[in-house]
Amino acid sequence: MPFLDEVEAAIPALRRYAHALLRDRSAADDLVQDCLERALSRRILWRRQGDVKPWLFRILLNLCRDEHRRRAARPVLVPIDSVSEAGGSGGQEEFMNLREVHRAMGQLPEDQRAALLLVSLEGMSLGEAAQVLGIPDGTLASRLARARAALRRTTCRAPDRPDDVRGHRP
Amino acid sequence: MTERKPIDDDLLVRLHHGTAAERAELEALAARDPDIRARLTDWQRQDAAIRALYGPVAEEPVPHRQLRLFDRPARRWPRVSRIAATIGLIALGAAGGWFAARLAQPPARGADLVAEALQTHATYSVEVAHPVEVPATDEAHMIRWLSKRLGHRIAPPDLRGFGFQLIGGRVVPSATGAAAVMMYEDDIGRRVTLFVTRESGQAETEFRYSGNGAARGFWWIEDGLGCAVVGDLPVDTLRAISVSAYHDLIDA
Repeated sequence: MPFLDEVEAAIPALRRYAHALLRDRSAADDLVQDCLERALSRRILWRRQGDVKPWLFRILLNLCRDEHRRRAARPVLVPIDSVSEAGGSGGQEEFMNLREVHRAMGQLPEDQRAALLLVSLEGMSLGEAAQVLGIPDGTLASRLARARAALRRTTCRAPDRPDDVRGHRP
Repeated sequence: MTERKPIDDDLLVRLHHGTAAERAELEALAARDPDIRARLTDWQRQDAAIRALYGPVAEEPVPHRQLRLFDRPARRWPRVSRIAATIGLIALGAAGGWFAARLAQPPARGADLVAEALQTHATYSVEVAHPVEVPATDEAHMIRWLSKRLGHRIAPPDLRGFGFQLIGGRVVPSATGAAAVMMYEDDIGRRVTLFVTRESGQAETEFRYSGNGAARGFWWIEDGLGCAVVGDLPVDTLRAISVSAYHDLIDA
């Protein structure tokens, strides 16, 4: 598939991921816009023969980190979309309360949320996600384990056994 | 670690997102251990909830402003195959690249950035005794120093794959403040200068090419940093080095 078509085809996934990560509609759209602009202006730098998609996710996450660095000097409150706006298809409640999960996702540190969404929402393998995040597989595995355990705790499904919740890792 | 009891979440995560064989191993483990089974079931529920919450955004129509991005480049770059496009880029070569840069009229600061980088390269790359102030043998100190003066973490890209070794760095003045300079050398003494400045508030530019005489450089402004890679090298080599340096710098 030609480069431009591949980028265009990735837009829905980029939007889905950005919305879930930032939890703010307009911020997510801006992020995707920046990501696409950067990808198109940098296409000469796209050197891999494989998928364009992981590269796009890397650009998006890089932009996101930069934005955080900029904002660190000037903290602002980020509005949180209502759950109904973020998704809201019914029928899943038998598994988990969606509102609860949305809130729990919001309480995760952003690096954990970014990692978990790559595998659970975008369906990437551990190796693919680690490459997108630029971290070793082992680091990602611990990060995911922490995110999973935290979600489990805040959605009140954690058992009492203390060894289920792993201690802090470096 | 695999022998550890009870089995920890890290390992389960690795198996869960691993190869088919690893997933089969996990299923076998889960069949024997109700606790593992409970955790897995819970993760599957988490994933289902996450997809239900956030998946529908991908079904929405893509905003027009995002689609519009694809109009202009599509006209400029006919949708030929990627291979043909690549050949075309290579064929642009020195003269074409130079022309393209000329025609594209770089923004004022971009032109200054290149001029500063070319000047720095011309001044220091010919130095035999003092091309750099801090040698690569003291790389950690160099990184701290350059990062501090620039107010941004700077780590020297690894260009050994192109046969270029870091020889060290220095700070030089630039119109926007202190500039970090890192110099590399190959086994026949050719030198490449990497020139990095802070460009707060400057508009981002595309990856561009500029040259004057023998020295030529690729440069860009992004994320408040201006970078130029200058050397007296064939354009294709310099381009490859610049692309590699770009990736190392944004990953730093």
